[in-house]
Amino acid sequence: MMEAVAAAFLGALKLSGKLVLIIVPLVTLFELLRHLPAFRRTGDAVDPLMRGIGLTREAALPLFTGVFLGIAYGAGIIIRVAQEKRLPARELFLMGLFLATCHAVVEDTLIFVVIGGNAWIMLGVRLVLAICLTALLARLWKPRPG
Amino acid sequence: MIRPPDPGRGEEGTVPDLRARFRTGIEAGLRTSLQILKITVPLYVAVDLLKRTPAIGILGGAFAPVMGLFGLPGEAAFAFIAAFLLNLYAAIAILVPLRLDAFQVTQCGLMMGIAHNLVVEGGVLRSTGARGGFLTFCRLCISAATGLALHAAHRMVSG
Repeated sequence: MMEAVAAAFLGALKLSGKLVLIIVPLVTLFELLRHLPAFRRTGDAVDPLMRGIGLTREAALPLFTGVFLGIAYGAGIIIRVAQEKRLPARELFLMGLFLATCHAVVEDTLIFVVIGGNAWIMLGVRLVLAICLTALLARLWKPRPG
Repeated sequence: MIRPPDPGRGEEGTVPDLRARFRTGIEAGLRTSLQILKITVPLYVAVDLLKRTPAIGILGGAFAPVMGLFGLPGEAAFAFIAAFLLNLYAAIAILVPLRLDAFQVTQCGLMMGIAHNLVVEGGVLRSTGARGGFLTFCRLCISAATGLALHAAHRMVSG
């Protein structure tokens, strides 16, 4: 019995070590990068891509924050930009659909890679799925003219 | 799951210098780690010990028909419940003691990557003004459909 408990704690400790090794560098990197002007100006470079999925550049910052940092981490930026820019309901839903399918891609993928998952399948499928679903919905749901 | 030390801080106004940001990052990372480990360690130990008893097999058996659709053992259902209600860290704390193969881990990573932490994230999406409840429903459907597709693809490849 004692051996079983010891083995369980040893396993838990190993997993904990792996998680700390992912979390601390990631959070530190985000903290270092999130003040960079380039990080905030993502809108310019991705404008054509954004239009393809029915979004305007106003949605770029909250979208990219969510995709890389995650919905919970990016909540502050996502909520603030969504309200300040007064994104229309259609765009909010499209952005929400994209983020719902695909967010925090670095963190989510890494923690499953350390326990033996295939990064390319997990990351690739989510990205392609998010882009296709959002682009499809954007074409079905036309913006109101004017 | 990773949270900033102080949400919203530094969006406007002065930018702290590099050293201060580095320190904030390390501190926030360690704090976040501690919060995560408080959930993962007890869950991992509990599941690892339960695995030595018949209990988990019996409970898992109830979910086997559903999980089987995705190529997963019934016990994986507990990890899905943890992923939906809590987060992915709680989910892998349950998954690791189950000793799944590489396909099964990938399958879980994909399905849970799409649908996890539904309560908190649904709330965030709703507070942007989007329809949070409906989006959460979409996530569950997309996750299930993707899981079925990956399982089918895996069966075709491995024969």
